[in-house]
Amino acid sequence: MQRATSYAVVTILVLAALAAAETTRQEMHFKVGRRASVSIVNQYGAISIKPGPGKVVAVTAILYSGKVEIDHSKSRRRVSVSSHLLEGATAETGRVDYEVLVPSDASVTLHSTTGPLHVEKLRGDMMLEGTTASVDVRDVNSGHIHIKTLDGPVTLTNVSDGHVEITSVGGDVALNAVNGSVVHVNSGSGKIHYDGDFGDAGDYSLTSHSGDIEAIAPAYASIEVIARSVQGTVEKDFPLQPEHTSFVPRAGSAFAGTMGEAGSSVKLLSFSGKIHLKKR
Amino acid sequence: MTCEEFKRVLPELGSGHGIEQEEHLRSCCACSDLIADLNAISQEARLLQSSEDPSPWVWNSIEVTLRQEGLIRQPQFEHSRPPAPALGWRLRWLVPLAATLLIVFGALIYQKGTGQPQIAQQPSPAAGVVTADLQPAEVMAGEDLQLLKTVSERTPSMRDTYEADLRSVNAYIRDARQSAESNPNDEVAQQYLRSAYEQKAMVYEMALDRSLP
Repeated sequence: MQRATSYAVVTILVLAALAAAETTRQEMHFKVGRRASVSIVNQYGAISIKPGPGKVVAVTAILYSGKVEIDHSKSRRRVSVSSHLLEGATAETGRVDYEVLVPSDASVTLHSTTGPLHVEKLRGDMMLEGTTASVDVRDVNSGHIHIKTLDGPVTLTNVSDGHVEITSVGGDVALNAVNGSVVHVNSGSGKIHYDGDFGDAGDYSLTSHSGDIEAIAPAYASIEVIARSVQGTVEKDFPLQPEHTSFVPRAGSAFAGTMGEAGSSVKLLSFSGKIHLKKR
Repeated sequence: MTCEEFKRVLPELGSGHGIEQEEHLRSCCACSDLIADLNAISQEARLLQSSEDPSPWVWNSIEVTLRQEGLIRQPQFEHSRPPAPALGWRLRWLVPLAATLLIVFGALIYQKGTGQPQIAQQPSPAAGVVTADLQPAEVMAGEDLQLLKTVSERTPSMRDTYEADLRSVNAYIRDARQSAESNPNDEVAQQYLRSAYEQKAMVYEMALDRSLP
């Protein structure tokens, strides 16, 4: 019994060593000016972006086979890194995982099919695009945040003073403590979840085809809200001050009104999904 | 003049604008940006060399949209076409341009609220009746099939994803179009349609992005 256990442990160690031997680690460092632009294109695998010290872009890439290599180019304020798939590469052998440190004022553009994509603690603009990749953005202050996915879920957490535009066909979108001058979400079948106070002077538009929309706000929220669903139901936990609208509010399928000083405009629109404005 | 009124008369404007429109453009950043974008697109289009025929994707997309809008009809006889050449890299920028034009075109058509006569050939369902969920196996349009073929050649594993998303987006467009036609003066109904077209443009843009498989 003891011998069998020993064999098993040795086998696991050998397999782990073989797996590790197939991965290659590459590190690249680029000095850049202020407000640099960083672009990472990675067909298969993760991209994680965090702020680093100084005006340096530090890229660490883990390559999972020899079927992929890293291309890069640099100018004074721009760094471009991309995975270059070689003949016969697959989603497994073409995989590269990137961990990138950038100056906190850098703008980033990330493309990946499978992802996941992760960005945190930046102040610059960001454009993130993934097919099935999940997208996670957190602790971001100001800047434009443009996200596009086909089916990948999108999560934004602690985003202040942002200009947010998210389009996803089938991915769920979750916004937690997100506010800014513009927050627009255009979803197809994915659900939209918003939990925040809607700021004080923003334009919020959460639109879906069949996905449900749930917005959770505190009682002190200052909003002018319109909610409509052609086929689904709408409900609200708040008493709203009625206001004139271009449509006739119908119980159960549409409502409109204001809360507080009506600082932000909030549109919750779904074609066939349910809409619920909840009190926190 | 409001933005809505300006957009309503936009298709009828030539190279010049009336006094009223000029005043509105001076005071409205959104509309002046729209005009600037349209002018930029127009100028870029003029720079195209005549020897460089746009990709068949562009023509197919425009043709299919025009046919869906009822502005052109299916020809009586199908002429055989030469096989579509591979998308030249110099012309790939036309794809997002065509998608943008489709969005602008669709939005303008419905903002004018004149959709009903143009779709008279199609059986019109009762107002508010939505058929998206009842037609999961709807036949896809030609340009969608071509797109799926391209995806299959580049990344076979992504084909099913794109097919499902195209069906989903097409259902959204169909629902939104019916709603807009039933309620031509309803701004929210127009927004559904714009959102649906934006999604379709995004699917095309991502499928034809050279940087991703």
